[in-house]
Amino acid sequence: MGRKQDKAWVVNTAAGTAAAIFVVIFLAYACHAGAARAAFPLERKDDRGVAVRLRAAPQRIVSLAPSLTEIVFLLGQEGRLAGVTRYCNYPPQAASLPKIGGIADPDVERIVAARPDLVLCTTDGNPKDKIRALEEIGIPCFALSPQDLGGIYAAVERTGALLGVPGRGKREADALRNRAAAAARGKRGISPRVLFAVSTSPIIAAGKGTFMDELLALSGGSNAAAAFAGRYPRLTTESLFAARPDLIFIAAMEGVERFPDEVTRWKEIPAFRDGEVLSLDGDLVTRPGPRMVAALEEVARAINEWRKRHSGPPDTGGATKKK
Amino acid sequence: MKRTGPVIALLGAAALGATALSLAAGPAPVSLRQVVEALFGGSAADPSAETAERIVLSLRLPRALLGLLVGGALSSSGVAFQALLRNPLADPYILGVSAGAAVGALTAALLLTGDAILPLPFCAFLGAALAASAVFLLARRRSGVSRERLILMGVIVGAFLNALIMLMVALAPPGKIPGAVYWLMGDLGMGTSHRVAVLLPYVAAGTAVMFLLSRGLDLMLLGDDAAFQAGLPVEKVKAVTYVTASLLAGCVVAVSGLIGFVGLIVPHGARVLVGSGHRRLVPAAFLLGATFLILADVVARTVSPSGELPVGAVTALSGAPFFLYLLRRNGGKP
Repeated sequence: MGRKQDKAWVVNTAAGTAAAIFVVIFLAYACHAGAARAAFPLERKDDRGVAVRLRAAPQRIVSLAPSLTEIVFLLGQEGRLAGVTRYCNYPPQAASLPKIGGIADPDVERIVAARPDLVLCTTDGNPKDKIRALEEIGIPCFALSPQDLGGIYAAVERTGALLGVPGRGKREADALRNRAAAAARGKRGISPRVLFAVSTSPIIAAGKGTFMDELLALSGGSNAAAAFAGRYPRLTTESLFAARPDLIFIAAMEGVERFPDEVTRWKEIPAFRDGEVLSLDGDLVTRPGPRMVAALEEVARAINEWRKRHSGPPDTGGATKKK
Repeated sequence: MKRTGPVIALLGAAALGATALSLAAGPAPVSLRQVVEALFGGSAADPSAETAERIVLSLRLPRALLGLLVGGALSSSGVAFQALLRNPLADPYILGVSAGAAVGALTAALLLTGDAILPLPFCAFLGAALAASAVFLLARRRSGVSRERLILMGVIVGAFLNALIMLMVALAPPGKIPGAVYWLMGDLGMGTSHRVAVLLPYVAAGTAVMFLLSRGLDLMLLGDDAAFQAGLPVEKVKAVTYVTASLLAGCVVAVSGLIGFVGLIVPHGARVLVGSGHRRLVPAAFLLGATFLILADVVARTVSPSGELPVGAVTALSGAPFFLYLLRRNGGKP
């Protein structure tokens, strides 16, 4: 009797336990599957302050800025790009994607014809009325306009979440953070006065509040243009002299190694005379995208090398002339 | 006297034809059948048909209608200014209207951030209206408004405002006025059904006023004294013509930017076709201007593979040789 009961109890317990294990496994699986799916429908605030709602992970994306195209590629989601601007040239594969016009002049009809379920745009470069026209047609537009490096990492994470690959977004953003931290490490010694020219004719420098200003601060240089008013002050050759830069970066728009002709007029500037002029791919520093970290690495390396050359007793003007 | 009935009917047909063409033409592949289905309700079953319907109804149709209104209004306004100033070189922009609108638009683009309460078109219209009023008040004397003073004040105010535009463009931070630069070259891309609906009553009313004033405009061409002798309240007609023509130009500029050349040259083309009586000239110029601008916009939208051309450049490039031929063939009298 007792044994029978025992047996029944054992069977019951075993069955119950098995059932419980099954239930737990099933629940865990359901939760896991749900976690991947529960992200959508998803609603996120973009940089205009608009709450953008996506019913499902977007499969056809149109990007209205080279920086955003680079972010989509970084996330490995370039297969979903249905259209980019004519300026989207990086990575090289981006150049062969369908074009929908420029940044300031995107063609609304081409965008609609690409049948996007998400348009990535910026708050300052793209015309607001065209974005509004797209939204009126019912195409969700998400604006991202990072203002500093932190904003770029966040933009990578936010785009990852929007595209349904939040893990990948987090990983890529962390990788960028680590590279930036490594580049900004070990800045000791004297701090050169650096001038960042975004254009040489007219001479336009990167002033306070720009990405380039942040790159200089992180790599331990001081911005020679910080004294001028405005984010992008226009300088005369005279004020360029007065700024006394130790080191000049020129953001070259095409071809990294060629200096524009007008720069030869600067040859009286000590930095120029001593060959302390470097050109840098302009796309790196003007696009608020992932390659800003590569720009930081280049700037930090150049400033460290300048320090190596100038550590020890200060120069007394007997610099060797470089042709 | 020319037989004008058939000519005007023909111009109307041309405007309709141009509208139809602009619905069918564009960078996105949309078949004629899809255009017809979109317009007259077809079966938008598959996604590509739905996309085609969106493109035709939400993008191309408002844009064609905007082209019609803008081209027509600029031409009517040109007819009025040429009669008012008795000057074949007059156009809607001659009295600083365009410069005023541009200053208004750039101010909006530079100073107002985010979703402004006063959007760019409204600021452009405000600028145009302020500039036009300033010119009119400066030109006024106790004896009335003389044409010479009006032109002189217009040119001076225009020069002053153009200098302001240069300053604004020079001092603007990079990337701050992307849309505004394209707007300055003329852009019908702002065509949304909402804007067409806003613009329609103004253009209709302005053109109607011009049409009703046609006898007055005819008399104005004879000069102030002769018109006065003929019993025309000259100063009143001048004021009404000036205000109407400026507002027509102003509200059109506000929506579509600075599209040059149309208001200057289309009235001359229309005179070749129907003569210089304003009762025929106003409707003929309206229809010719509408047709011309819609066709120019079709070219601007379709000719370049990498994006749109500024429609203001297309109007001048394509229109100048054609109208030169028209005027030369007609014995060269403007």
